[in-house]
Amino acid sequence: MKTLEIRNLHVKVEDKEILKGVDLTVAENEIHALMGPNGNGKSTLLAAIMGNPKYEITEGEIIYDGKDLLAMPVNERSIAGIFLAMQYPQEIPGVTNSDFLRAAMNVRRESPVPLFTFIKAIEKTIKDLQMKEDLAHRFLNEGFSGGEKKRNEIVQMELLKPSLSMLDEIDSGLDVDAIKIVGDAISRLREETGMSIIVVSHYERFLEMIRPQFTHVLVDGRIVCSGGPELAQRIDSEGYDWIYREYNISPAAEADETAARPASIGVCAVRESVKGAEQ
Amino acid sequence: METVRTSQTLVLPEGYSAYEINADEDLSLQLKIIRPCDVFVRILKAAKMQVNIEAAEGVKAAVLFYNSSKDTVTSSECHTVMKDADLTVAYGECNGAETYRKVKVELKESGANALLSTASLVNEKKEYRMEVANLAPHTSGDIRNFAVVLSEGRLMIDAIGRIVKGAYRSESHQTSRALSFAEGQRSEILPELLIDENDVQASHAMSIGRVDEDQLYYMMSRGLSIEQCTSLISTGYLMPVTEVLKNEELRSTLAEEMERKITELCSM
Repeated sequence: MKTLEIRNLHVKVEDKEILKGVDLTVAENEIHALMGPNGNGKSTLLAAIMGNPKYEITEGEIIYDGKDLLAMPVNERSIAGIFLAMQYPQEIPGVTNSDFLRAAMNVRRESPVPLFTFIKAIEKTIKDLQMKEDLAHRFLNEGFSGGEKKRNEIVQMELLKPSLSMLDEIDSGLDVDAIKIVGDAISRLREETGMSIIVVSHYERFLEMIRPQFTHVLVDGRIVCSGGPELAQRIDSEGYDWIYREYNISPAAEADETAARPASIGVCAVRESVKGAEQ
Repeated sequence: METVRTSQTLVLPEGYSAYEINADEDLSLQLKIIRPCDVFVRILKAAKMQVNIEAAEGVKAAVLFYNSSKDTVTSSECHTVMKDADLTVAYGECNGAETYRKVKVELKESGANALLSTASLVNEKKEYRMEVANLAPHTSGDIRNFAVVLSEGRLMIDAIGRIVKGAYRSESHQTSRALSFAEGQRSEILPELLIDENDVQASHAMSIGRVDEDQLYYMMSRGLSIEQCTSLISTGYLMPVTEVLKNEELRSTLAEEMERKITELCSM
């Protein structure tokens, strides 16, 4: 059983404590949705699991498949089966998708993937995600549109077949058709491999496709409440205010302004995409 | 491939040709270009070299020197480009040994063009002085240096564009970029434009920097080791030097060899 266990996780970024004691267990084959207002630690949690060097773990532990993840460098975590589909995938000029993907596939195999097998696999994945045919020869994410970058994350996921996938707002920046393409690809891969998923998304439409069995709400660096799919639905229709009232909490500073007026999920996403466009 | 062991003068044939320098003693090599050609020169062994390339009126030619020497190479070069000729001289340096190279290109008559280009994977000392002198009107010179500096490497480049008085309507451009992967690596690039004429165009661009940490994190999050990332990024950075060769077969052979060499040096 490949279980992810997070205990009392505290994470600092540039001397500011973002996560203030997170406990979360994700068993094999489970799908968990991580919700919460912007700036309250969702992406930080995923980045800490993956091992982003900018995030400093000050306390707590992360165990995956019985191994101490925090003692492992980023690449070993990936080889252990963890995959993070990033919110802002990097552009790497000079390195083709094809060279990158082959290298990434080979590190988790005894012998290198035969060229023919690789070409077949990448052609199928390009088709699945409806990417341009020259994807393999293009430089990694360079000059890709926002939507292409997000779909390219799923291309990588499909080829690397992780046992635990984390999706960090993979649906933002995708149009309705693209969301369906991505959602379908993830569902197919899950059926095939039985991977577990932690999904961060503001869109009920996307969550409906991924169908998480568990929902957790992260406010000010802590998981304040957990539940089933009904919790995600209630947040979609009512926002987070009722949670703040019920648990007598307030969100982290960045989200303070949104707390003043009821923030529906749609509004949050739009705000963020506008912010993203301004950056 | 023809082997060159002693000093000589070669009149290069039209089209593609390849040479290998394997000299036990100091060597002087004259390359005369009177027809369009595409030349590959592998340096296998050479202590001190003197190289002169003459590009005659109207020819278009590219010469790539690829250094495979295990020992120090010291090379002093002077190339001349005549009326309306177009000469590209490129250098591939991934050999893990010291290189000291001085190159001067003289654009002697109007319409002469030259491109000097280097791609270096530096894990030893590499010192270059690259100069293009515009000595006549309507001439154009370009210098492009790309280098990846590994932890033991030390790179020094003097890039000089010189336009003399009377060489009006001439151009002198240069770009030098060095990329490093670890802290404390030393690279020095000195761009110089020495211009004694008013009616000219000139530019220089330079950057020395470390690989972006976010890029490394992204690549490592897919399972690649830091050595693999270094090697993939370096390959992408240096490979464009092979593009001066028009011959497909040679280009791909060289690309494969460079890739192997880069992988080897990056995993040390």
